[in-house]
Amino acid sequence: MKRLAGIFVIGLFFSSFTLADDYVVICNKNMEDLSISQVKAIFLKKLTFVNDIEVVPINLDARDPLRLKFEQEVLHLSFQRLKIYWTKEHYMGHRPPVSMKSQESIKAFVKNVDGAIGYIDAKNFDDDLKVIYKWSE
Amino acid sequence: MNKIITILFLCFFILQAEDEYELGKGVQVASLPLYVGGYFSADYAQSKAVTTYRLNDIALLAYGTFEKLSYMAEVEYKDFYTHSQYPNSYSITKDRDLHVERLYFDYIYNENFAVTLGKYNSPIGLWNLLPVNALRQTIFNPMTSDIIFPNYTTGAVVSYSTYSDYGLKIGVIYQNNDDFDDNYNNYKLDQHYGLNVVYEKDDYTLKLDGGYFHQTNAFDDTEFLHYALLSGKYDSDKFQFSTELGYQQGQREITSLAGYVQGLYRFTEQHIGSIRVESYDDRLSADVGQLAVFTYTYRPLFPIAIKSEYELNSHDLQDKLMFSLSVIF
Repeated sequence: MKRLAGIFVIGLFFSSFTLADDYVVICNKNMEDLSISQVKAIFLKKLTFVNDIEVVPINLDARDPLRLKFEQEVLHLSFQRLKIYWTKEHYMGHRPPVSMKSQESIKAFVKNVDGAIGYIDAKNFDDDLKVIYKWSE
Repeated sequence: MNKIITILFLCFFILQAEDEYELGKGVQVASLPLYVGGYFSADYAQSKAVTTYRLNDIALLAYGTFEKLSYMAEVEYKDFYTHSQYPNSYSITKDRDLHVERLYFDYIYNENFAVTLGKYNSPIGLWNLLPVNALRQTIFNPMTSDIIFPNYTTGAVVSYSTYSDYGLKIGVIYQNNDDFDDNYNNYKLDQHYGLNVVYEKDDYTLKLDGGYFHQTNAFDDTEFLHYALLSGKYDSDKFQFSTELGYQQGQREITSLAGYVQGLYRFTEQHIGSIRVESYDDRLSADVGQLAVFTYTYRPLFPIAIKSEYELNSHDLQDKLMFSLSVIF
């Protein structure tokens, strides 16, 4: 009985890992490693070139749940504060990142464009991409 | 008036051409590296001495980026129409000169270095880079950004920036020529040299500015005015706290001192309140005072600001009740 209970507890322990959702920030394979602070600066358009390559941040659509998670986890900014930020940046002559409707579009774009950087579900990752940051929920 | 109508029609047709226009973000013109936008402000102020109705800050801006080069052009009608009502008389003033507020090019040399050339907002303090009613919490900037340093510089800025656990930006300001439009600046100047350092980590910003400039209309032509400004800000989803302390000095004595602390609370996305307490000593115009500014802002959308403000002034006659409507588009 004790053995059965032990197996149950261990099973519960591992199931918590399999139930967690993993997400990755991805970039083109030719891109150098980036710190999370650099990723934040890239998505806020404060950093636009890395090693003389123009970086191209790609967002999901404004209300996509993964975009909101990315903005909280990586940018540490709420949807409202980002709206304020980009209105001020409009006055400064800066545009927000372009948006794409699906993770598949982001993957295809990042694979083919040097300097492209986006974020997807980890389960959609494949070896033609490079992971620069991973988080779980 | 024809110019205004032309600008409004231009804006109207551009907006019609855009499929997914979002207020406060401007619009792209025909897939070109050209975005246009603008802003305006109207306000009402009532004090014991005078009541004013004003239409000001009617501005149009255009900008774009092509690889490492970007540009910004902004023209503005300042104080377009002002009606001042005194106890026994009134006056109407109309400034119909179209001023060039900003006109510059930015070139990004690499991930750390960039250079700006042209006429630009002096990158000094927390307020001067965003001198637009719709973008700030209060109807007017604090005195620290009015009396300590020149608001506009015509020359160059060379900047260095780096992003690791924190963001660090260092800028060198250089002007050694006449102002592009010296009627549209708080000082008439022909030289300006400055250095600024901005440190950012999480929700905190710390900024230090210093420099000196030469006025073309000063009593003593050899005199340079030196300035220094220390700024700090904490900004979170609900609260914002900011403070600045600045001074200006001629060759022999201090000419201006100013400082403030401001607290801001966002009740909701639309409803924001703030209190600012200021003190200043402007010895060039022999004006010393203290202010408390209470502001409530309603933003149905962030680019639209409807503000009511009460300014309690140590000069009784200057106590003011103000309302404003401002929009950036």
